[in-house]
Amino acid sequence: MKGSLGTSLVVHVVVLVLAMVSLSAPKPLDVAQEEVLPVDLVPVEELTQMQQGDKKAQPAPKPSTKPTKNTKIVDKAENAGDNDVDLKTPPTPVKKPTPVETAAAPKPTERPTPTPTEEQNQVKDVAKEETAPKPQEQAALPTPKPPEPTPPKPTPTPPKPEPTPPKPEAAKPAPSPIQAENKSDTGEIPDTPPIPAQRPTPPKPETPKPVEEAKPVEKPAEKKPDPPKPTETAKAQDKATEKPTNKKVADKKQEVAKASSSKQSDFNADQISTLLNKEQAAGGGAKRSTSPAATGSTKPANAAKLSQSELDALRGQIENNWSVIAGIDGADGVVIRVTMKLDQSGAIIGRPEVTASGGSDAARRTLEGSALRAVMRSSPFKNLPADKYDAWSEVVVNFDPSELL
Amino acid sequence: MEQAGLAAVATGDVSLWSLFMQAGIIVKLVMVGLIGASIWTWAIVIDKYISFARARRQFDQFEQVFWSGQSLEELYRTLADRQNVGLAAIFVAAMREWKKSFERGARSPIGLQMRIDRAMDVTLSREAEAYEARLGSLATIGSAGPFIGLFGTVVGIMTSFQAIAGSKSTNLAVVAPGIAEALLATAIGLVAAIPAVIAYNKFTADAGKMSARMEGFADEFSAILSRQIDEKLQPRQAAQ
Repeated sequence: MKGSLGTSLVVHVVVLVLAMVSLSAPKPLDVAQEEVLPVDLVPVEELTQMQQGDKKAQPAPKPSTKPTKNTKIVDKAENAGDNDVDLKTPPTPVKKPTPVETAAAPKPTERPTPTPTEEQNQVKDVAKEETAPKPQEQAALPTPKPPEPTPPKPTPTPPKPEPTPPKPEAAKPAPSPIQAENKSDTGEIPDTPPIPAQRPTPPKPETPKPVEEAKPVEKPAEKKPDPPKPTETAKAQDKATEKPTNKKVADKKQEVAKASSSKQSDFNADQISTLLNKEQAAGGGAKRSTSPAATGSTKPANAAKLSQSELDALRGQIENNWSVIAGIDGADGVVIRVTMKLDQSGAIIGRPEVTASGGSDAARRTLEGSALRAVMRSSPFKNLPADKYDAWSEVVVNFDPSELL
Repeated sequence: MEQAGLAAVATGDVSLWSLFMQAGIIVKLVMVGLIGASIWTWAIVIDKYISFARARRQFDQFEQVFWSGQSLEELYRTLADRQNVGLAAIFVAAMREWKKSFERGARSPIGLQMRIDRAMDVTLSREAEAYEARLGSLATIGSAGPFIGLFGTVVGIMTSFQAIAGSKSTNLAVVAPGIAEALLATAIGLVAAIPAVIAYNKFTADAGKMSARMEGFADEFSAILSRQIDEKLQPRQAAQ
């Protein structure tokens, strides 16, 4: 036994030593350094659904809304915009208040002049007559507004044509009324001083001519010389000379009428709050965008979709109310498509649109009718997820009536 | 332990010896114990192989001599002084009992037969015990070796996971050496156990064959002696 134990020991030692020598360290695996492929999990809706962007902008790889100026970041905002609160309503335009202010300014000056309704009526009649010549005079002038800015100017009729030409010259649509106001109110702007100087003259029919002739010379010096202007001014001169004081009165009345009419049209009790509201924009979302605008849908990209089971539930509600008459000839292959608009409570708005295709004419007509009845009977629809109203505000449901038979 | 593991990671040393040295004290003990068991297994295997081979040779030689027609008395005289094993030991035990009974003048042939059988049985069981000695430890090593190795592995993996938790890295390079080192314990356990199981099966079968052969010889010899007793006692009874 000792001998065999010794032998075993020796053999083990030999084997272990051999193992240590031969199996010292296995060759490290030669793993090639492969490039790491970044993998993103992208929901299919991101590719299949229209994404939020700007409808008018040029297409770009990624849809994007107009860049926003507001840098304050709002959590979970879905609608793009500069608002601090995420609202679905589109932003109200900022420009609106400014024209209202300009219209409001002249009113106090005009108030003393307004006269009873008869006069207004007369004036309107007169105005119709006189408005006819105006287009002739100012055919080149595109803007219908010219009468409005004119009233603030203190002096009577003849100046009218005169102040108008500068506007087309300036060619700036928005700022021009303001400039006109400024001119009339303050008189600080260098353009205005010459005009009052001229205005005293027009009442006298003879004298204005030289002065006004001189004016065209002055104006070109001041501003850009436009070829049509001299002719217009010449016409105006002619008319100014031709028309007697009656015309002045008529013009005055016309102005008054226009002012009053504009006053009437602009004043809206409902809009008082908007007039008083000095905030830049109401409505609009709070989702910020820094990239340039690119084509896309106006709806937020992550608009919820009705799931298949929710659609099936909706379809089931209709099918429960659907009594399909058995034994209709040619009902096979009829497919009915119902398009309906729903309100928040699930009730149908208006009349659902039912179209059938396939099968015989008679069967189609019958099934369309029964489908419409079923849809109307199942209104209001229940169990529609309220938070996905965007998805089911307008629903299209397809039916195969042969399944119901 | 952690430092050793991390050092191995740093050097990339995964050789057998470094794996052993990195292991914890329990795993080391298990490994050493299993290596010892392996040594013991192989010692038994070698010992049994040699002794069985020798025993088989002796059986053959003895049977050759026994059936050669040689006088049993002579055979007994040659063998009586020797240290006998196997068939020879049984033969000598039976002959000794025979001699003693006849020298003292035994009266009952049945009692003599029984005594001879007893003597042969005792010798036979002693010889069989010698053949089966240490086969039990082979069985133990064969069945328990894998479990002991597994224990070492579990402890080693536990400690290496603790080390991983300490190092706060799940990099495979950190995990691998500890697991490899722990698995070494199972490997050693299997290395010790597999030969032990094979050897145990083989040597139990061999020992069974050997004792069957001895029993066969004992029965045969008992029959021969019984005939001899009858032959020797009848003349005596006839003489009386």
